[in-house]
Amino acid sequence: MNAKTKKKLLPYGYLLPTIILMLILLVIPILMVIDYSLYDNVIANKNPIFVGLSNYASVLKDSAFWTAVSHTLFFVIVSIVAHMFIGMLFAMLLNTRYLSSRTKGIFRTIYALPWMFTASVIAITWRMLLDPNGVLNYFILFFHLSEEKVTFLASREIALQSVTLINIWSGYPFYMISILAGLQGISPDLYEAAALDGADSVHSFFGVTIPQLKPILISLVMLDFVWTLQQFALIWMTTGGGPVNATETVSTWIYKQGFTKFQYSTASTGAVILLIVCTIIGIFYVRHQRAEE
Amino acid sequence: MIGKEKKPVKALIIILLILGTVWAGFPVLWMLSNSFKSNAEIFAFPPKLITENFSFTAYAKIFQNPEQVRFFLNSYAISAIVVVLTLFIGIMASYAFSRFEFKGKNLINTIIVAVQAVPPITLLIPYLSLIVTLGLYNTYWALVLTYLVFTLPYCILMVTGYLNTLPRELDEAVMIDGGSHWTALWKILIPSAVPGLISVGMYTFMQAWNEYLFALTLTKTNDMRTVPVGINLLMGQHAYEWNQMMAMSVLGSLPILVLFLFFQKYFIAGMTAGAVK
Amino acid sequence: MTGWAKKLIVVTTVAAMAAGMAVSASADDVTLEFQQWWGVELPDGALQELCDGFTEETGVAIELLSNPYADTKTQVAAGAATGTMADVVGLDGSWVYDFAKQGAIANLSELMEADGYDDSQLSDQITYEGSTYMIPVVNFAYPLYVNLDILEAAGVKDIPATWSEFLDVCAKIEENTDAAAYCIPLNTEAPNGIQNQFSTWLWASGGNLLSEGKPALTDNELLVDVVELFKEMKDSGYFSDGVEALMEQDMVNEFENGRLAFMVDGISHLTTIKNESPDLNFTYAPMPKKDDYDGESGMDVANWGIGIAENCEHKEEAMAFIEYLMSPEINAKLAQLANAFPGNSNAEPDYSENDERFLQAFEIFQNGYAINEFTGAPTAEDLMRSMNEQLILYFDGDTETPEDMLAATQEAWEAAYN
Repeated sequence: MNAKTKKKLLPYGYLLPTIILMLILLVIPILMVIDYSLYDNVIANKNPIFVGLSNYASVLKDSAFWTAVSHTLFFVIVSIVAHMFIGMLFAMLLNTRYLSSRTKGIFRTIYALPWMFTASVIAITWRMLLDPNGVLNYFILFFHLSEEKVTFLASREIALQSVTLINIWSGYPFYMISILAGLQGISPDLYEAAALDGADSVHSFFGVTIPQLKPILISLVMLDFVWTLQQFALIWMTTGGGPVNATETVSTWIYKQGFTKFQYSTASTGAVILLIVCTIIGIFYVRHQRAEE
Repeated sequence: MIGKEKKPVKALIIILLILGTVWAGFPVLWMLSNSFKSNAEIFAFPPKLITENFSFTAYAKIFQNPEQVRFFLNSYAISAIVVVLTLFIGIMASYAFSRFEFKGKNLINTIIVAVQAVPPITLLIPYLSLIVTLGLYNTYWALVLTYLVFTLPYCILMVTGYLNTLPRELDEAVMIDGGSHWTALWKILIPSAVPGLISVGMYTFMQAWNEYLFALTLTKTNDMRTVPVGINLLMGQHAYEWNQMMAMSVLGSLPILVLFLFFQKYFIAGMTAGAVK
Repeated sequence: MTGWAKKLIVVTTVAAMAAGMAVSASADDVTLEFQQWWGVELPDGALQELCDGFTEETGVAIELLSNPYADTKTQVAAGAATGTMADVVGLDGSWVYDFAKQGAIANLSELMEADGYDDSQLSDQITYEGSTYMIPVVNFAYPLYVNLDILEAAGVKDIPATWSEFLDVCAKIEENTDAAAYCIPLNTEAPNGIQNQFSTWLWASGGNLLSEGKPALTDNELLVDVVELFKEMKDSGYFSDGVEALMEQDMVNEFENGRLAFMVDGISHLTTIKNESPDLNFTYAPMPKKDDYDGESGMDVANWGIGIAENCEHKEEAMAFIEYLMSPEINAKLAQLANAFPGNSNAEPDYSENDERFLQAFEIFQNGYAINEFTGAPTAEDLMRSMNEQLILYFDGDTETPEDMLAATQEAWEAAYN
C-alpha cells in the first residue's frame, strides 16, 4: 500500500468501529423495519404477502394517523419553544454577575434536577402531582385559582397541554446547561464594545448574545426535535394516548398498532415515515453545518 | 444611578430564582417526601409534606433485598462500560470528521443524525432477534452495545464540534516531530479536550443509567437487570409499592447527582464548544 | 420473518450456535424458565417455595423470571416474535387469542392427551380454534367493595341491591359526603375498566357482549341500559374526579383513602387494602342488578393463566410442571396464598386463615356463575380500548345516543373478529 492510499483510507480507519456498530446494530434493524413495512403483516402472520407501498397508502389515508401527527407537532413545537425559553432564562439568571459562584453552583444543581430521572419515574411523579386529589389541585383550591378540581390528564381539552408540560419539565435542563456553557464562552469584549456603542441590556442580548449562541441553539433545536418526536414513555405512562385520542402521538399510535393490534407492518410503516422526516431534517442540519464552516 | 438600577434588578433575580427553584425542585421534593410515607398516606388529601409515620422503611427494604442491590451494581457496571466505550469509539470517529475530508462524509453524518429519530419501540422486535442471533441475549453486552449505538451519535456531534475549535497547528506540530495522527489525537488533542469529554461522558452515563425499554427486553433474569427495570418491578398488577418506587427513584438519581456536583465545572465548560459549534 | 432477513438470521445463527454449544452441553439437568408477574403479588418467596416442591419431585429445576405486569404483554409479544419466550409463561386470558394465532404458545390439548392428563378436573380451559392454549391456574372474582363508613355518613342503612337503589344511595353520598360514589378507571394505557368496572354491571344482570362468539353490541337492550346508567352516574357527578386518566391502581388508592364508596375490584386486593388502611371499614356485596332481573348473576373473573411457549424445548417437562401447579393440593395452596379461587375443581383450599371478608366474597361468587367475555377474544385489549373511547365520547356528548355509541363500537369490534 502506498502512502497516498494509506492516507485516503486513514479516516475510514478511525470511523471503522463506529461504522461497524451502527451498521450491525442500527442499520440492519432499520432495514428490517423497512422490509416489514412492505408486507401485509409480519410476525403475527406466518406467510406474509408482499404488498409494496400499499401500507403507506393506507396509513397516509388514515385520519387517526393524521390526528396523531397534529398532536405530535403541537407536542414537539411547544416543547421546543418552552425548552428554549426556560433554558435561556435560567442560563441568563445563572450567568448574572450578581450571584456568587457558590450560589450559582447550588442553583445550577437544583435547576438540573429534572434531568436525573428516568422517564417512568417522571411520569409517575407527575401523575401524582396532577391527580385530582394531588398536591397541585390542593394549591389550586387553596388559593382559589379555580372553583373545581382541575382534571389535568383526564380532560380532553387540556390533556395534551398537561403532557406537554411534563415533557417541558423533563427536557429544559439540557438547554439550560448547553446555553450556560455557550454564554461563558462569549468574550466580554463583545459586550464592552456593544456598551460603548450605547446598547442597553436588551440590545446587547439580541445584538451579541443571540448571534453568538446561534450555532449552539440550532444544534439544540435539531437534537430536541429528533428526541421529542420519538418521545413515548412519558405519554404512554401518563395517559396512554387518551382520553379517547387527545394525547395520541405518532409514537403511541405506532405502539398500539404493533403491540395491541398486532399489526407490525402498519407499525413499521409509521416508523419509516418518521425516519424519512428526520432524514430530511438531518440533511438540512448537515448542510447548515457545512455552510457554517 | 447604578445603585438605583441595581436594586430592582436584584429583586427580580431573586424572585426568578425562587420561582425556578419551585418549578424544578418541587416535583423532586415531593418524590422525596413520598418515599418516607406509607402507601396510603401518599394519596391523602389534603396532602402533607411530612407525615406522622415518617420512616425509612422503604429505603431499608431496598437495601435488605440483595436482588434490588444487584440492580444498582448492574446499572453501575453497564453505565461505566458504556461511557468508556462511547468516548473511545466516539473520539476516533470525531477525529475523522474533524480533521479529514473523505468520500461519504456527508452521508455518514446525515445517517448519524437521522437514525436517532426512529422510535426505539419500533426497533424492538428486529433488534431483539438480532441480539438473540448474536448470542448476546440476557448479557451485559446486549445492553452495552445497545446503549453505545444510542449514545455514539450525540458523542460524535459534540466531540467533533470540540475538536473543530482546537487549531490544526497542534496536530501539525506533532507530525513535524515525527508523530502520527494517533499520537496527535491522544497525546495532544484529547488532554486539551478533557472538559468536553467529561460532559459527554456524564450525558452518556445518564442515558445508559436511565434507559428502560431495552433493559427490560434484552434481559430476562433479575441478576442482569438495571435500576429502571427494578423500579417498574414494584408496580404490581393491581397495586404499586409507591413508597419503595419513590425511594428507589431517589437512590437511582443519587449517582447522577453526585457526578453532576463533582464535575459540574467541567461539565459546563465542556458544553461550550461541545454543544456543537 | 421475511426473505432476506431470514437469510441474515441463518448466517448469523452459525455464530450463535457456536456460542450456544457451551450451554447445551449439560442437557441432562433440565431447567424450565417460568416467566410471570405473580411472584410480586404473592408473599415474598412463596412462589419459589411451591416450585421447589416440583424440583424435589422431578429433578427439573424451575427458574422464576419476574416481570412488571404492565410490560409482561409487550415482553411476551417480543419474545414470541423472536423465539426467546420463557418455557412456561404466565398469561392473561385477554392475550391468548393473539399469541395462539401467532403460533407463539403451544397447543395444550395435544400435550395433555400425550400425557394422558384428566382435564375434567380443570375448572376452565381457554381455547383457540377448538384447542386449549391456556389453563387458568387461579381465578379472581370481582365483587363490589363497599365502604361502610361512607354509607353511614350518607345516612344509608342497606347496601343497594338494584340499580335504582344504587342510584339513590349515590345521590345521598353526593349530597351528604365529600366522597365519590363509584369509579371506573378509563386510562387508555390499560383499558381494563371496560372489563372490570363496566361490563360487570351487564354480566351481573345476566347480559352478554357476545352472541355465539361474535360481537353483539347492537340490538342489545340491556347493554343500552348499562350505558345509560353510566351516563347518568357521570352526569350526576357520582364518579371520582378525572376518571378518564385513572388507572385501576388509582381507583384502589381512592378507596383506601376513604374517598370512594363503591368499587368493583379483584378480591386479590384484600390483603393490600387491609395492610395499607387497617382502619378502613369495608365489606363485599353482590353487584346490584337491574330492577326487574331476578335470574342468576354472572360475576367477572380474571385469572392467572399459564401456557407453554412453542419454542420450549422441554414441553413434556413443562406440561408436568403445569400439572403439578394444577394438582389439587398445590393449586389449593396457591389459591389460598393469592386470595383466589382454585383452577382445579377438586382443590379444597383452606381459607381459615384468610380474612372473613374473603369467605363472604367466596359465597357471593358461588351464588352466581363466572364470566369474562374478553378472555380468549381477539385483540381483547384493543376491543376494550375502542369501547373505552366510545364511552368517553358518549359521556362528553360527542355521540348522541347510546345506540350510536354501541354501533360505533360494534363496527370496531367486527373488524377484529374478521
